[in-house]
Amino acid sequence: MRTKQEYLIRYKDGNLYCELADIWIDPSKPVKKALITHAHFDHFTFGCEEYISTKETAILLKERVGDNIKIKTFEYGEEFKINGINISFHPSGHILGSSQIRFMFAEEKWLISGDFKLQKDETCKQYEIVKTDYLISECTFGLPIFKWDESNKIANDISKWITNSPEKTSLLFCYSLGKAQRLLNEINNTNFKGKIYSHGSIHKMNNSYRELGIDIKNTIKIENKKKIDELKGSLILLPPSLSKGTYLKNFKNIQTAFASGWMSIRALRKRSGYDKGFAISDHADWDGILEVVKKSEAKNVFFHHGDSEAISKYLVEKESINVLFFGK
Amino acid sequence: MSLKKFSELFVDLDSSNSTNNKIEVLKNYFFSNDPIDNSWAIYLLTGKSNKRFISGRYLKNLFSQIYEYPVWLIDTCYLKVGDSAEVITLLLKNKSTSRKKELSNISLNELLSKTIPDLSKLNEEEKNLQIKNIWERLPEDYHLIFNKILTGTFRVGVSIGLITKSISKLINIDEEIISHRLMGNFKPSIDSYEFLINKNINLEELNSKPFPFLLANTIEDKIFKNSINDFQFEWKYDGIRLQLIKRSGNISLWTRGQELVNESFPELVEKMSHIKDDFVLDGELLVWNFKEQIAFDFSLLQKRINRKSPTRSIQIKYPIIFIAYDLLEINGRDIREIKLENRRIELEKYFSKWQNKTENNISDIFKICDLIFPNDWPDALTYKEKSRENNTEGLIIKKKTSIYSSGRKKGIWWKYKVDPMQLDAVLIYAKGGSGRRAGLYTDYSFALWKDEELIKFASAYSGLTNFEIKELDKWIRKNTIEKFGPVRSLKPEMVFEISFEKIQISKRHKSGIAVRFPRITKWRKDKKINDADSLENAYELMKKI
Repeated sequence: MRTKQEYLIRYKDGNLYCELADIWIDPSKPVKKALITHAHFDHFTFGCEEYISTKETAILLKERVGDNIKIKTFEYGEEFKINGINISFHPSGHILGSSQIRFMFAEEKWLISGDFKLQKDETCKQYEIVKTDYLISECTFGLPIFKWDESNKIANDISKWITNSPEKTSLLFCYSLGKAQRLLNEINNTNFKGKIYSHGSIHKMNNSYRELGIDIKNTIKIENKKKIDELKGSLILLPPSLSKGTYLKNFKNIQTAFASGWMSIRALRKRSGYDKGFAISDHADWDGILEVVKKSEAKNVFFHHGDSEAISKYLVEKESINVLFFGK
Repeated sequence: MSLKKFSELFVDLDSSNSTNNKIEVLKNYFFSNDPIDNSWAIYLLTGKSNKRFISGRYLKNLFSQIYEYPVWLIDTCYLKVGDSAEVITLLLKNKSTSRKKELSNISLNELLSKTIPDLSKLNEEEKNLQIKNIWERLPEDYHLIFNKILTGTFRVGVSIGLITKSISKLINIDEEIISHRLMGNFKPSIDSYEFLINKNINLEELNSKPFPFLLANTIEDKIFKNSINDFQFEWKYDGIRLQLIKRSGNISLWTRGQELVNESFPELVEKMSHIKDDFVLDGELLVWNFKEQIAFDFSLLQKRINRKSPTRSIQIKYPIIFIAYDLLEINGRDIREIKLENRRIELEKYFSKWQNKTENNISDIFKICDLIFPNDWPDALTYKEKSRENNTEGLIIKKKTSIYSSGRKKGIWWKYKVDPMQLDAVLIYAKGGSGRRAGLYTDYSFALWKDEELIKFASAYSGLTNFEIKELDKWIRKNTIEKFGPVRSLKPEMVFEISFEKIQISKRHKSGIAVRFPRITKWRKDKKINDADSLENAYELMKKI
């Protein structure tokens, strides 16, 4: 048994760190070299000397934070070497450009899952099963109460929700990057044929997706002053940050909903203050995490991001998987 | 008509925050379903019965046994969800192996009058098998309803008022009448629903039902602009609000919660039967200190409420009184539409007649409430401050011209409660909430100083804003000393102002005191734990009253 310091990858100052390569993964503070799994802001921080990511992630990041960052990019599956360690990105199915990162050193394989999902999503590459010895997995939804419905079912529910209230304007809150595009893509296949508007932040990401070759339905960028009648019966996509506060006063006769995995729980749905919740997530559900653990053939598993206690205990008891803890 | 419709109704009601929406949804539901299912729907939605057929614990164990899930994992899920029925529903997803959903067309009536009650006729093994069968044969969308009814936890944000409004809209009859018809025992049946929607207004059946209660609102400043002479002032007693009904010689005592409590207070029923007139009185039931002519504490009344057919010695030990506020009906004549001041005259007139003409002395169990006559508003305030001395909660202020309508009508009656007592206390434990507050630490315990030690004196879970709850939850997670199951002991650091209604000596508590209705009224971020109050301060409060 090795001590924590001897793991190829470990937690240091609250972040994943590979000492041999002197490289950090999604660091929350400025470092010299940072590997970025995907372009969500909770996985990115300003001020690093060098970023390394997939091409898509780099483009999305630059679109969001400007060109002033130095990013080196690699294709999925393309191996590169840092201090003798082989590193490669593999699709994680979370959003466009998102990746798992594999490290190989002296016959030992490590895999950082990044944020991932197994569900179908036409706006990004499907999760790729990668075999590994050590797996570091997220477990945001690591309880068996989380079981996602097929995303086309959710899209149909959304479509019904809008068309059942033709006199209302339906505001659907969702993350600007990833979730919004996935929803647009799914809604396109439903019976909903009304107008769709999106907030500037979402609109921008839609364009980036299109430039990267993803087919995203055209939406109208929402302007501040819109006539109420014009918005009746239509769908407006907004980022969750606008759900509280004065922004909503721009609209009249609205119904609101939030698209998030957490919405599968009634108490959270009620407390959220939205009229309705649609349980759709870009993270894996319980079965998804278990499947990845199994198919990766990892003999040792670490969990982070989420309540890891339950899933760890379950794997140890039921599947006899060796679950390790970083200690922080 | 099927459970499907009801299930959809539940989802619709649950995903709307708009009252008008809910009324519309309910109206459409009642319109498109048959009377028997409608009566069950009303029964469930108004929470008339929340009978528990099996416990949440039983359900969890059963699931664990059938699907080989460790119980601890189900319990962990429960902490996140806060409702056993919902946890099991979520876990049941995609579990069923049977393709055929034979129960997809089951009616609400069949489920509630047969399928579920029949479970109790089975032995444990058969019962477990039957529940598993139902789970497998019932479409997943209905699992939540089924599990909630099973565990007696079916609740949705619909008040009786909304049901009343929707039915009133459906058949175009005044809300007041529907509300009256909904009072008392509502037994689900075709008859009870048809009675409810009958277009004929003067129905005999109403005789067995109490009137909808008129309730007081919390005082608003604007009332002080009015002349004091426009109002009638009464003490606000802390007992059980009751309608005492005598019609065709039959007496019934109805609580505000619409329970018939004749059996708990036989001496009152007996005494009132000597009065010759028929009547409906609105008033308060109290355990009475006849020597000092004030109410005893509510805790003594509790010793009577749940005891049916109390013995003579209990009746003597906890002597009750009914204090009438209002006369609503006299010898079959509904007088709710006449002004309060005139009803009062009638009440006084009949009371003195009953006192003099009834063979049996009724005044040892029945009186009418004394009125208070403040000279001006500051004087009213003085009365209010005195209310603790006579064990009342403050004043009730009623507009003299008000008619007796139903519900919490605005601008008619007000409650002017005595300011609560307050202590600054230190947060020492937190527990996860349930239901709406699941996943957050929302149940708090507070302590006061005793020398160098913090002694727990009250628990409270209301009073913080959602924002504060979230903020505090974060702090709690970071400042936990120890976890005991769902409870965390915390670093003593946060001070809160706790308000309560009453304080008394209690041998059951380590602190030696018990407080009533404790609630958080302020997060005293400005205070350090050394600024918090001590038990001494609490004892001082007790001496003052």
